[in-house]
Amino acid sequence: MRKLIGLLAVLTLLVGACGSSGDLVVEDAWARTSASMQEAGAVYMTINGGDEADRLIDVSVSSDVAMVAELHETAMAEGGDGMMSMQPVTAIDIPADGAAMLEPGGFHVMLMKLAEPLTSGSTVELTLTFENAGTVEVSAEVRED
Amino acid sequence: MRRLALRLVAGLFAVALALGACGGSSLDSLTGILRDPAPDVGGVALADASNADAPFTLKAAPDELLVVYFGYTACPDVCPTTLADLRSAVRRLEDDASRVDVAIITVDPDRDDGERLTSYIQSFFPGGHALRSDDADELQAAADAFGAAYEVVQTDEGVEVGHTAYLYGVDESGLIRVQWSFGVTPDDLEHDLAYLLREGI
Ligand SMILES: [Cu+2]
Repeated sequence: MRKLIGLLAVLTLLVGACGSSGDLVVEDAWARTSASMQEAGAVYMTINGGDEADRLIDVSVSSDVAMVAELHETAMAEGGDGMMSMQPVTAIDIPADGAAMLEPGGFHVMLMKLAEPLTSGSTVELTLTFENAGTVEVSAEVRED
Repeated sequence: MRRLALRLVAGLFAVALALGACGGSSLDSLTGILRDPAPDVGGVALADASNADAPFTLKAAPDELLVVYFGYTACPDVCPTTLADLRSAVRRLEDDASRVDVAIITVDPDRDDGERLTSYIQSFFPGGHALRSDDADELQAAADAFGAAYEVVQTDEGVEVGHTAYLYGVDESGLIRVQWSFGVTPDDLEHDLAYLLREGI
């Protein structure tokens, strides 16, 4: 009987560990300090997918930080003249057991109409909404680079 | 005697090869894009809002380098990334940092007035130049000289801006000696700036 209880405990631990390793995890969230007169900012992060593929479908930020937050992608325009521009995107795919990178020159959370400059050492709190994982709170560190 | 002469010739040949390789490798040692022929932008001048709109000629001061960027202040991602990386590179030059001058040319002059543009560039580089023109033809001509492109489109959502995101390294005669693509690392920038400052401008 004792052995059975022991076995059950071990199994429970294993299942618990399995569950936590299978969840989506957001890492290294950061935003660059805004320059003087810079109206909009960007937040970058790495989103490590869980056991199942997911999609980042929405983001929100307190109006103390910015008027609105949107999911954006910077991309090289077609046509070969090398112009870069930015477009809102409806979702960012998070592959199962892979990662989605939000980084300069690619996907980012755009902070439109900053309420105040982003200063070094502060943090920006975001709420991300995923199709499967639901909402995830993220704290992004503000730094120069 | 004849053998000695042969050896001498062979020796000279080796030295010449070494010198040649040396010359070649120093050219190769810029990491950025080298354009051939190097475009001459020294004939372009734009109003410098950081200096009471005095005309600023697009060439470096003697023994210095001028780094030029086409951008706009409402740019959240590409412009701050590039300017922050340039700032990191210039800081690492330490004593030579003062030999690098930076100018931004706004592609969005409707929204970037002189005061805004000056404040913006000088929050990255205290002595940075804020170049702008309200004359669309003058701005286009300046961009053409560099090979830069831009597009400002009014949409329902707001203003959408597209622009090439190169940094241009201009020497004192107004030649673009090197240009760097978006995403160039501070390491490579620092290397190329140090190289140009050292090897002759
Ligand atoms: Cu954006």
